[in-house]
Amino acid sequence: MRHPNEGVLRRLIDEPAGVSDADRAHVAGCAVCSRALDDARADAHLVGAALGGSGAVDADAAWARFSAASAPSTVTAFRPARSAGRNRWGTAVRRPAVAALGAVVLLTGAGVAAANDWLPIFQTERVDPVEVTATDLVQVPDLSSYGDLQITEEPDPEQVADAATARERTGLDVPEVAELPEGVTGKPTYQVAGVVGATFTFSAAKAAQAAAAEGEVLPPPPAGIDGSRIRFEAGPGVAAMWSQPTGVPTLVVARVGAPKVLSSGVPFETVRDYLLSLPGLPDGVAQQVRDLSTDAATLPLPVPAEMVTSSTADVDGSEATVLTSRNGLFAGVVWVEDGVMTGVAGTLSADELLAVARDLR
Amino acid sequence: MPAAATRDAVRPDLEDIFRREYQRVVGVAARVLGSRDQAEDVAQEVFLSFGRSPVPAAEAAGWLSVAAAHTALNLIRSGRRRASREESVASAAESVTPDVADTVLTLEDRSRVRAALARLPRTQATALVLRHSGLSYAEVATALGLSPGSVGTTVRRAELALRKELNRHASPE
Repeated sequence: MRHPNEGVLRRLIDEPAGVSDADRAHVAGCAVCSRALDDARADAHLVGAALGGSGAVDADAAWARFSAASAPSTVTAFRPARSAGRNRWGTAVRRPAVAALGAVVLLTGAGVAAANDWLPIFQTERVDPVEVTATDLVQVPDLSSYGDLQITEEPDPEQVADAATARERTGLDVPEVAELPEGVTGKPTYQVAGVVGATFTFSAAKAAQAAAAEGEVLPPPPAGIDGSRIRFEAGPGVAAMWSQPTGVPTLVVARVGAPKVLSSGVPFETVRDYLLSLPGLPDGVAQQVRDLSTDAATLPLPVPAEMVTSSTADVDGSEATVLTSRNGLFAGVVWVEDGVMTGVAGTLSADELLAVARDLR
Repeated sequence: MPAAATRDAVRPDLEDIFRREYQRVVGVAARVLGSRDQAEDVAQEVFLSFGRSPVPAAEAAGWLSVAAAHTALNLIRSGRRRASREESVASAAESVTPDVADTVLTLEDRSRVRAALARLPRTQATALVLRHSGLSYAEVATALGLSPGSVGTTVRRAELALRKELNRHASPE
Protein backbone atom coordinates (compact mmCIF):
# COMPACT_ATOMS: atom_id res chain seq x y z
CA MET A 1 0.00 0.00 0.00
CA ARG A 2 1.31 3.45 -0.75
CA HIS A 3 1.83 5.97 2.02
CA PRO A 4 -1.06 8.28 2.92
CA ASN A 5 -0.46 11.87 1.85
CA GLU A 6 0.60 14.68 4.16
CA GLY A 7 -2.96 15.95 4.53
CA VAL A 8 -4.12 12.62 5.86
CA LEU A 9 -1.25 12.51 8.33
CA ARG A 10 -2.12 16.02 9.46
CA ARG A 11 -5.75 15.13 9.98
CA LEU A 12 -4.73 12.10 11.99
CA ILE A 13 -3.44 14.50 14.63
CA ASP A 14 -6.64 16.52 14.93
CA GLU A 15 -9.44 14.22 13.84
CA PRO A 16 -8.30 10.60 13.75
CA ALA A 17 -11.89 9.53 13.31
CA GLY A 18 -11.92 11.32 9.97
CA VAL A 19 -9.11 9.11 8.62
CA SER A 20 -9.90 5.72 7.13
CA ASP A 21 -9.12 2.55 9.08
CA ALA A 22 -6.76 1.44 6.35
CA ASP A 23 -4.70 4.62 6.52
CA ARG A 24 -4.54 4.49 10.32
CA ALA A 25 -3.39 0.88 10.20
CA HIS A 26 -0.75 1.73 7.62
CA VAL A 27 0.70 4.60 9.61
CA ALA A 28 0.79 2.50 12.78
CA GLY A 29 2.97 -0.07 11.08
CA CYS A 30 5.11 2.16 8.84
CA ALA A 31 8.31 3.69 10.18
CA VAL A 32 8.41 6.31 7.40
CA CYS A 33 4.86 7.46 8.08
CA SER A 34 5.39 7.41 11.84
CA ARG A 35 8.35 9.75 11.46
CA ALA A 36 6.35 12.00 9.14
CA LEU A 37 3.50 11.98 11.64
CA ASP A 38 5.86 12.99 14.45
CA ASP A 39 7.18 15.82 12.31
CA ALA A 40 3.68 17.00 11.51
CA ARG A 41 2.70 16.83 15.18
CA ALA A 42 5.76 18.86 16.19
CA ASP A 43 5.02 21.47 13.54
CA ALA A 44 1.37 21.67 14.56
CA HIS A 45 2.40 22.13 18.18
CA LEU A 46 4.96 24.76 17.26
CA VAL A 47 2.59 26.76 15.08
CA GLY A 48 -0.21 26.43 17.64
CA ALA A 49 2.08 27.90 20.30
CA ALA A 50 3.30 30.62 17.97
CA LEU A 51 -0.18 31.69 16.95
CA GLY A 52 -1.32 31.76 20.55
CA GLY A 53 -4.82 32.70 21.55
CA SER A 54 -6.68 35.68 22.85
CA GLY A 55 -7.70 34.50 26.30
CA ALA A 56 -11.17 35.10 27.64
CA VAL A 57 -13.05 38.11 26.34
CA ASP A 58 -15.93 40.01 27.85
CA ALA A 59 -18.74 39.51 25.36
CA ASP A 60 -21.19 41.62 27.40
CA ALA A 61 -18.90 44.64 27.39
CA ALA A 62 -18.14 44.06 23.72
CA TRP A 63 -21.85 43.95 22.90
CA ALA A 64 -22.45 47.17 24.82
CA ARG A 65 -19.66 48.84 22.86
CA PHE A 66 -20.91 47.41 19.61
CA SER A 67 -24.49 48.52 20.26
CA ALA A 68 -23.37 52.03 21.05
CA ALA A 69 -21.21 52.22 17.95
CA SER A 70 -23.77 50.79 15.56
CA ALA A 71 -26.98 52.37 16.81
CA PRO A 72 -28.65 54.03 13.83
CA SER A 73 -29.28 57.34 15.53
CA THR A 74 -25.90 57.90 17.05
CA VAL A 75 -22.59 58.85 15.66
CA THR A 76 -19.70 56.61 16.66
CA ALA A 77 -18.68 57.86 20.04
CA PHE A 78 -15.20 59.02 20.72
CA ARG A 79 -14.29 57.29 23.94
CA PRO A 80 -13.66 59.74 26.73
CA ALA A 81 -11.41 57.32 28.56
CA ARG A 82 -8.86 57.60 25.81
CA SER A 83 -9.52 61.15 24.83
CA ALA A 84 -9.63 64.70 25.90
CA GLY A 85 -12.03 65.23 28.73
CA ARG A 86 -12.33 67.93 31.30
CA ASN A 87 -9.94 66.20 33.65
CA ARG A 88 -7.49 65.35 30.94
CA TRP A 89 -6.86 68.95 30.03
CA GLY A 90 -6.64 70.04 33.63
CA THR A 91 -4.37 67.20 34.57
CA ALA A 92 -2.16 67.75 31.59
CA VAL A 93 -1.70 71.35 32.46
CA ARG A 94 -0.82 70.46 36.02
CA ARG A 95 1.62 67.72 35.28
CA PRO A 96 4.42 68.15 32.78
CA ALA A 97 5.05 64.43 33.02
CA VAL A 98 1.68 63.82 31.45
CA ALA A 99 2.20 66.56 28.95
CA ALA A 100 5.42 64.92 27.89
CA LEU A 101 3.54 62.11 26.26
CA GLY A 102 3.17 64.50 23.40
CA ALA A 103 2.68 62.13 20.55
CA VAL A 104 0.05 60.14 22.34
CA VAL A 105 -1.81 63.21 23.39
CA LEU A 106 -1.65 64.55 19.87
CA LEU A 107 -3.82 61.66 18.84
CA THR A 108 -6.57 62.89 21.08
CA GLY A 109 -6.51 66.38 19.69
CA ALA A 110 -5.64 67.87 23.05
CA GLY A 111 -1.92 67.80 22.59
CA VAL A 112 -1.33 71.40 21.87
CA ALA A 113 -2.80 72.51 25.12
CA ALA A 114 -1.01 69.83 27.01
CA ALA A 115 2.33 70.50 25.46
CA ASN A 116 3.72 72.86 27.97
CA ASP A 117 2.95 74.72 31.08
CA TRP A 118 6.26 75.35 32.76
CA LEU A 119 7.88 77.10 29.88
CA PRO A 120 8.23 80.69 28.98
CA ILE A 121 6.42 83.72 27.87
CA PHE A 122 5.91 83.40 24.22
CA GLN A 123 3.60 83.09 21.24
CA THR A 124 4.05 79.80 19.48
CA GLU A 125 5.21 80.20 15.92
CA ARG A 126 6.83 76.82 15.47
CA VAL A 127 7.13 73.52 17.25
CA ASP A 128 10.27 71.58 18.01
CA PRO A 129 10.41 68.26 19.76
CA VAL A 130 12.31 67.83 23.00
CA GLU A 131 13.27 64.26 23.65
CA VAL A 132 12.52 63.01 27.11
CA THR A 133 13.22 59.52 28.40
CA ALA A 134 11.21 57.48 30.85
CA THR A 135 13.78 58.40 33.48
CA ASP A 136 13.34 62.08 32.65
CA LEU A 137 9.62 61.73 33.07
CA VAL A 138 10.03 60.38 36.55
CA GLN A 139 12.40 63.21 37.38
CA VAL A 140 10.42 66.12 35.93
CA PRO A 141 8.93 67.94 38.87
CA ASP A 142 5.27 68.75 39.23
CA LEU A 143 4.82 72.46 38.63
CA SER A 144 2.60 72.76 41.69
CA SER A 145 5.70 72.08 43.78
CA TYR A 146 6.95 75.54 42.86
CA GLY A 147 3.89 77.65 43.36
CA ASP A 148 0.14 77.71 42.90
CA LEU A 149 -1.51 76.69 39.70
CA GLN A 150 -5.06 77.67 38.97
CA ILE A 151 -7.03 76.50 35.99
CA THR A 152 -8.91 79.64 35.05
CA GLU A 153 -10.66 78.43 31.91
CA GLU A 154 -11.80 74.92 31.14
CA PRO A 155 -11.98 73.97 27.48
CA ASP A 156 -15.11 71.83 27.93
CA PRO A 157 -14.48 69.60 24.94
CA GLU A 158 -17.58 68.17 23.33
CA GLN A 159 -18.71 66.39 20.24
CA VAL A 160 -20.74 68.39 17.74
CA ALA A 161 -22.85 67.33 14.80
CA ASP A 162 -20.88 68.71 11.90
CA ALA A 163 -18.11 70.98 10.67
CA ALA A 164 -20.41 73.98 10.44
CA THR A 165 -21.33 73.71 14.12
CA ALA A 166 -17.68 73.29 15.00
CA ARG A 167 -16.88 76.51 13.18
CA GLU A 168 -19.75 78.33 14.80
CA ARG A 169 -18.56 77.30 18.27
CA THR A 170 -14.88 78.08 17.84
CA GLY A 171 -14.46 80.45 14.92
CA LEU A 172 -12.03 77.95 13.42
CA ASP A 173 -12.48 76.17 10.11
CA VAL A 174 -12.19 72.42 10.41
CA PRO A 175 -9.50 71.35 7.97
CA GLU A 176 -10.98 69.36 5.11
CA VAL A 177 -9.20 66.21 4.04
CA ALA A 178 -9.02 66.09 0.25
CA GLU A 179 -8.52 62.34 -0.01
CA LEU A 180 -8.71 59.81 2.80
CA PRO A 181 -5.75 57.42 3.07
CA GLU A 182 -6.25 53.76 2.33
CA GLY A 183 -7.96 52.02 5.23
CA VAL A 184 -9.69 55.16 6.54
CA THR A 185 -13.37 55.10 5.75
CA GLY A 186 -16.66 56.58 6.81
CA LYS A 187 -17.50 60.01 8.08
CA PRO A 188 -15.61 61.79 10.82
CA THR A 189 -16.94 62.88 14.16
CA TYR A 190 -16.26 66.45 15.17
CA GLN A 191 -14.92 67.63 18.49
CA VAL A 192 -14.61 71.19 19.70
CA ALA A 193 -12.95 72.68 22.75
CA GLY A 194 -12.84 76.19 24.09
CA VAL A 195 -9.88 78.11 25.42
CA VAL A 196 -7.90 76.56 28.22
CA GLY A 197 -6.33 79.01 30.59
CA ALA A 198 -4.17 78.62 33.65
CA THR A 199 -2.32 80.96 35.92
CA PHE A 200 0.79 80.03 37.83
CA THR A 201 1.99 82.05 40.76
CA PHE A 202 5.59 81.33 41.65
CA SER A 203 6.39 80.82 45.32
CA ALA A 204 10.03 80.89 46.34
CA ALA A 205 9.15 79.41 49.73
CA LYS A 206 7.29 76.50 48.21
CA ALA A 207 10.01 75.91 45.66
CA ALA A 208 12.67 75.94 48.39
CA GLN A 209 10.65 73.39 50.33
CA ALA A 210 10.32 71.13 47.30
CA ALA A 211 14.02 71.39 46.57
CA ALA A 212 14.87 70.61 50.19
CA ALA A 213 12.68 67.53 50.07
CA GLU A 214 14.86 66.31 47.23
CA GLY A 215 18.04 67.18 49.12
CA GLU A 216 18.73 70.11 46.82
CA VAL A 217 19.15 73.81 47.36
CA LEU A 218 16.93 76.18 45.41
CA PRO A 219 18.93 78.61 43.30
CA PRO A 220 18.33 82.18 44.51
CA PRO A 221 15.27 83.55 42.67
CA PRO A 222 16.02 86.63 40.56
CA ALA A 223 14.37 89.88 41.53
CA GLY A 224 10.69 89.99 40.73
CA ILE A 225 10.20 86.23 40.35
CA ASP A 226 8.77 85.47 43.76
CA GLY A 227 5.03 86.01 43.58
CA SER A 228 5.13 86.75 39.85
CA ARG A 229 2.32 85.41 37.74
CA ILE A 230 2.48 83.61 34.45
CA ARG A 231 -0.61 83.05 32.39
CA PHE A 232 -1.00 80.23 29.92
CA GLU A 233 -3.59 80.18 27.16
CA ALA A 234 -4.35 77.84 24.31
CA GLY A 235 -7.32 77.17 22.11
CA PRO A 236 -10.00 77.09 21.02
CA GLY A 237 -9.69 73.90 19.04
CA VAL A 238 -11.53 71.76 16.54
CA ALA A 239 -10.88 68.22 15.43
CA ALA A 240 -12.28 65.81 12.88
CA MET A 241 -11.77 62.18 13.83
CA TRP A 242 -12.16 58.98 11.89
CA SER A 243 -12.40 56.12 14.36
CA GLN A 244 -12.58 52.38 14.41
CA PRO A 245 -15.77 50.91 15.83
CA THR A 246 -14.19 50.70 19.27
CA GLY A 247 -13.47 54.40 19.21
CA VAL A 248 -9.73 54.27 18.66
CA PRO A 249 -8.95 57.12 16.26
CA THR A 250 -7.51 56.06 12.91
CA LEU A 251 -7.06 59.62 11.71
CA VAL A 252 -7.34 62.91 13.58
CA VAL A 253 -7.10 66.30 11.96
CA ALA A 254 -7.04 69.10 14.49
CA ARG A 255 -6.62 72.85 14.51
CA VAL A 256 -6.04 74.84 17.67
CA GLY A 257 -5.21 78.37 18.67
CA ALA A 258 -1.47 78.07 19.30
CA PRO A 259 -0.40 78.23 22.93
CA LYS A 260 0.91 81.48 24.33
CA VAL A 261 2.18 82.44 27.71
CA LEU A 262 1.83 85.84 29.31
CA SER A 263 3.86 87.10 32.20
CA SER A 264 2.89 89.48 34.97
CA GLY A 265 6.00 91.44 34.14
CA VAL A 266 9.04 89.24 34.43
CA PRO A 267 10.98 89.09 31.16
CA PHE A 268 10.95 85.91 29.11
CA GLU A 269 14.66 85.21 29.49
CA THR A 270 14.51 85.58 33.26
CA VAL A 271 11.65 83.16 33.64
CA ARG A 272 13.15 80.69 31.19
CA ASP A 273 16.59 80.66 32.71
CA TYR A 274 15.30 80.35 36.24
CA LEU A 275 12.82 77.58 35.49
CA LEU A 276 15.52 75.68 33.66
CA SER A 277 17.85 75.99 36.62
CA LEU A 278 15.40 74.48 39.11
CA PRO A 279 16.49 71.23 40.72
CA GLY A 280 14.84 68.15 39.36
CA LEU A 281 14.73 69.06 35.70
CA PRO A 282 17.00 66.58 33.89
CA ASP A 283 20.07 68.28 32.41
CA GLY A 284 19.51 66.88 28.94
CA VAL A 285 15.95 68.17 28.77
CA ALA A 286 16.95 71.58 30.15
CA GLN A 287 19.71 71.90 27.57
CA GLN A 288 17.41 71.00 24.69
CA VAL A 289 14.86 73.56 25.83
CA ARG A 290 17.57 76.18 26.31
CA ASP A 291 18.88 75.54 22.81
CA LEU A 292 15.60 76.03 21.08
CA SER A 293 13.82 78.61 23.18
CA THR A 294 15.91 81.64 22.40
CA ASP A 295 13.23 83.40 20.41
CA ALA A 296 10.11 83.13 22.57
CA ALA A 297 8.35 81.55 19.64
CA THR A 298 9.33 77.90 19.57
CA LEU A 299 7.10 75.56 21.53
CA PRO A 300 9.10 72.65 22.90
CA LEU A 301 6.95 69.58 22.41
CA PRO A 302 8.09 66.85 24.77
CA VAL A 303 8.23 63.48 23.05
CA PRO A 304 9.11 60.19 24.71
CA ALA A 305 12.48 59.27 23.20
CA GLU A 306 12.02 55.52 23.62
CA MET A 307 8.69 55.55 21.83
CA VAL A 308 8.90 58.23 19.20
CA THR A 309 11.31 59.51 16.60
CA SER A 310 11.03 63.00 15.20
CA SER A 311 11.98 64.72 11.99
CA THR A 312 10.92 67.73 9.98
CA ALA A 313 9.13 68.13 6.67
CA ASP A 314 7.74 70.92 4.59
CA VAL A 315 3.98 71.39 4.58
CA ASP A 316 3.05 74.07 2.10
CA GLY A 317 5.93 76.31 3.09
CA SER A 318 5.73 75.72 6.85
CA GLU A 319 8.25 73.58 8.65
CA ALA A 320 6.33 70.73 10.25
CA THR A 321 7.44 68.40 13.00
CA VAL A 322 6.88 64.75 12.14
CA LEU A 323 6.60 62.28 15.00
CA THR A 324 6.63 58.56 14.35
CA SER A 325 6.24 55.87 16.97
CA ARG A 326 9.13 53.44 16.96
CA ASN A 327 6.78 50.49 16.65
CA GLY A 328 5.40 52.04 13.48
CA LEU A 329 1.82 51.99 14.72
CA PHE A 330 1.09 55.68 14.70
CA ALA A 331 2.50 59.01 13.65
CA GLY A 332 1.70 62.70 13.81
CA VAL A 333 2.53 65.88 11.91
CA VAL A 334 2.17 69.29 13.52
CA TRP A 335 2.90 72.83 12.33
CA VAL A 336 2.01 76.41 13.13
CA GLU A 337 0.87 79.12 10.78
CA ASP A 338 -0.47 82.55 11.68
CA GLY A 339 -0.96 81.67 15.31
CA VAL A 340 -2.89 78.51 14.57
CA MET A 341 -1.46 75.08 15.19
CA THR A 342 -2.59 72.26 12.95
CA GLY A 343 -1.97 68.59 13.58
CA VAL A 344 -2.64 65.43 11.63
CA ALA A 345 -2.18 62.16 13.49
CA GLY A 346 -3.30 58.59 13.40
CA THR A 347 -2.50 54.93 13.06
CA LEU A 348 -0.97 55.54 9.64
CA SER A 349 2.52 56.03 8.29
CA ALA A 350 4.20 59.43 8.37
CA ASP A 351 4.12 59.53 4.55
CA GLU A 352 0.38 58.98 4.48
CA LEU A 353 -0.14 61.68 7.10
CA LEU A 354 2.11 64.13 5.26
CA ALA A 355 0.07 63.54 2.11
CA VAL A 356 -3.08 64.36 4.08
CA ALA A 357 -1.42 67.43 5.63
CA ARG A 358 -0.29 68.82 2.28
CA ASP A 359 -3.73 68.38 0.74
CA LEU A 360 -5.77 69.92 3.54
CA ARG A 361 -8.25 72.51 2.32
CA MET B 1 -14.64 46.33 4.49
CA PRO B 2 -17.38 48.94 4.66
CA ALA B 3 -17.25 50.57 8.05
CA ALA B 4 -20.08 52.70 9.27
CA ALA B 5 -21.96 53.37 6.09
CA THR B 6 -25.56 52.25 6.36
CA ARG B 7 -26.64 51.18 9.75
CA ASP B 8 -30.38 51.04 9.42
CA ALA B 9 -31.12 47.41 8.61
CA VAL B 10 -29.74 45.54 11.59
CA ARG B 11 -30.75 41.88 11.66
CA PRO B 12 -32.83 40.81 14.66
CA ASP B 13 -30.70 37.78 15.51
CA LEU B 14 -27.54 39.85 15.74
CA GLU B 15 -27.27 40.01 19.53
CA ASP B 16 -27.62 36.24 19.99
CA ILE B 17 -25.05 35.53 17.35
CA PHE B 18 -22.74 38.23 18.64
CA ARG B 19 -22.74 36.82 22.16
CA ARG B 20 -22.30 33.26 20.90
CA GLU B 21 -19.52 33.91 18.40
CA TYR B 22 -17.64 36.92 19.73
CA GLN B 23 -15.02 34.91 21.61
CA ARG B 24 -14.21 32.81 18.58
CA VAL B 25 -14.09 35.79 16.21
CA VAL B 26 -11.68 37.60 18.51
CA GLY B 27 -9.65 34.41 18.78
CA VAL B 28 -9.32 34.09 15.01
CA ALA B 29 -8.24 37.70 14.60
CA ALA B 30 -5.87 37.49 17.56
CA ARG B 31 -4.10 34.52 16.02
CA VAL B 32 -3.40 36.57 12.93
CA LEU B 33 -2.56 39.84 14.66
CA GLY B 34 -1.00 38.72 17.91
CA SER B 35 -2.84 41.54 19.65
CA ARG B 36 -6.08 41.19 21.52
CA ASP B 37 -6.89 44.87 21.35
CA GLN B 38 -6.56 44.91 17.59
CA ALA B 39 -8.45 41.65 17.42
CA GLU B 40 -11.37 43.18 19.28
CA ASP B 41 -11.39 46.09 16.83
CA VAL B 42 -11.46 43.63 13.96
CA ALA B 43 -14.28 41.70 15.62
CA GLN B 44 -16.35 44.84 15.92
CA GLU B 45 -15.82 45.61 12.24
CA VAL B 46 -16.74 42.08 11.26
CA PHE B 47 -19.95 42.11 13.28
CA LEU B 48 -20.88 45.49 11.81
CA SER B 49 -20.70 43.94 8.36
CA PHE B 50 -22.47 40.82 9.48
CA GLY B 51 -25.26 42.88 11.01
CA ARG B 52 -26.09 44.25 7.57
CA SER B 53 -25.66 40.98 5.73
CA PRO B 54 -28.25 38.40 4.73
CA VAL B 55 -26.02 35.48 5.78
CA PRO B 56 -28.22 32.71 7.25
CA ALA B 57 -27.78 32.23 10.99
CA ALA B 58 -26.71 28.64 10.45
CA GLU B 59 -23.74 29.83 8.40
CA ALA B 60 -22.83 32.66 10.73
CA ALA B 61 -19.98 30.91 12.55
CA GLY B 62 -18.06 30.08 9.39
CA TRP B 63 -18.78 33.41 7.75
CA LEU B 64 -17.66 35.37 10.78
CA SER B 65 -14.51 33.32 11.21
CA VAL B 66 -13.47 33.73 7.60
CA ALA B 67 -14.32 37.43 7.69
CA ALA B 68 -12.24 37.86 10.84
CA ALA B 69 -9.28 36.04 9.29
CA HIS B 70 -9.48 38.03 6.06
CA THR B 71 -9.94 41.35 7.81
CA ALA B 72 -7.01 40.64 10.10
CA LEU B 73 -4.84 39.47 7.20
CA ASN B 74 -5.79 42.61 5.29
CA LEU B 75 -4.71 44.64 8.26
CA ILE B 76 -1.23 43.16 8.35
CA ARG B 77 -0.92 43.37 4.59
CA SER B 78 -2.34 46.84 4.31
CA GLY B 79 -0.62 50.08 3.43
CA ARG B 80 0.39 50.42 7.03
CA ARG B 81 3.05 47.81 6.30
CA ARG B 82 3.13 46.70 9.89
CA ALA B 83 4.24 43.19 9.05
CA SER B 84 7.33 44.24 7.16
CA ARG B 85 8.26 46.76 9.83
CA GLU B 86 7.89 44.18 12.55
CA GLU B 87 9.88 41.73 10.54
CA SER B 88 12.67 44.25 10.11
CA VAL B 89 12.73 44.82 13.84
CA ALA B 90 12.68 41.10 14.49
CA SER B 91 15.47 40.39 12.00
CA ALA B 92 17.66 42.95 13.69
CA ALA B 93 17.53 40.98 16.91
CA GLU B 94 20.00 38.14 16.65
CA SER B 95 18.72 34.82 17.90
CA VAL B 96 20.90 31.76 18.42
CA THR B 97 18.53 29.61 20.42
CA PRO B 98 18.87 26.02 19.24
CA ASP B 99 15.38 24.88 20.25
CA VAL B 100 12.88 26.70 18.11
CA ALA B 101 10.00 25.71 20.33
CA ASP B 102 11.56 27.63 23.19
CA THR B 103 11.65 30.82 21.20
CA VAL B 104 8.24 30.97 19.63
CA LEU B 105 6.52 32.62 22.51
CA THR B 106 8.64 35.73 22.41
CA LEU B 107 7.11 38.82 20.96
CA GLU B 108 9.68 38.96 18.21
CA ASP B 109 8.82 35.51 17.03
CA ARG B 110 5.15 36.26 17.12
CA SER B 111 5.94 39.17 14.86
CA ARG B 112 7.83 36.85 12.53
CA VAL B 113 4.89 34.49 12.49
CA ARG B 114 2.59 37.30 11.49
CA ALA B 115 4.99 38.47 8.80
CA ALA B 116 5.16 34.91 7.49
CA LEU B 117 1.37 34.57 7.65
CA ALA B 118 1.07 37.68 5.52
CA ARG B 119 3.24 36.08 2.86
CA LEU B 120 1.35 32.77 2.70
CA PRO B 121 -1.23 32.22 -0.01
CA ARG B 122 -4.53 33.56 1.30
CA THR B 123 -6.27 30.18 1.47
CA GLN B 124 -3.37 28.55 3.33
CA ALA B 125 -3.18 31.35 5.88
CA THR B 126 -6.93 31.37 6.45
CA ALA B 127 -7.21 27.58 6.74
CA LEU B 128 -4.33 27.51 9.19
CA VAL B 129 -5.80 30.20 11.41
CA LEU B 130 -9.29 28.70 11.33
CA ARG B 131 -8.01 25.24 12.19
CA HIS B 132 -5.93 26.55 15.08
CA SER B 133 -8.96 28.52 16.24
CA GLY B 134 -10.81 25.26 16.74
CA LEU B 135 -12.90 24.89 13.59
CA SER B 136 -13.30 21.30 12.45
CA TYR B 137 -12.00 20.13 9.08
CA ALA B 138 -15.57 20.07 7.81
CA GLU B 139 -16.18 23.63 9.01
CA VAL B 140 -12.97 24.87 7.45
CA ALA B 141 -13.85 23.10 4.21
CA THR B 142 -17.32 24.66 4.10
CA ALA B 143 -16.10 28.10 5.07
CA LEU B 144 -13.39 28.15 2.41
CA GLY B 145 -15.11 26.14 -0.28
CA LEU B 146 -12.50 23.38 -0.11
CA SER B 147 -13.00 19.65 -0.28
CA PRO B 148 -12.71 18.15 3.22
CA GLY B 149 -9.86 15.98 2.01
CA SER B 150 -7.75 18.97 1.04
CA VAL B 151 -7.99 20.82 4.35
CA GLY B 152 -5.28 18.69 5.99
CA THR B 153 -2.94 19.25 3.05
CA THR B 154 -3.55 23.00 3.06
CA VAL B 155 -3.00 23.27 6.82
CA ARG B 156 0.09 21.04 6.70
CA ARG B 157 1.72 23.11 3.95
CA ALA B 158 1.03 26.31 5.82
CA GLU B 159 2.58 24.86 8.96
CA LEU B 160 5.64 23.73 7.02
CA ALA B 161 6.08 27.20 5.58
CA LEU B 162 5.77 28.79 8.99
CA ARG B 163 8.14 26.31 10.61
CA LYS B 164 10.67 26.99 7.87
CA GLU B 165 10.32 30.69 8.53
CA LEU B 166 10.84 30.26 12.26
CA ASN B 167 13.85 27.97 11.74
CA ARG B 168 15.36 30.38 9.27
CA HIS B 169 15.34 33.15 11.84
CA ALA B 170 16.11 31.06 14.88
CA SER B 171 19.02 28.90 13.64
CA PRO B 172 22.56 30.12 14.15
CA GLU B 173 24.06 31.24 10.85
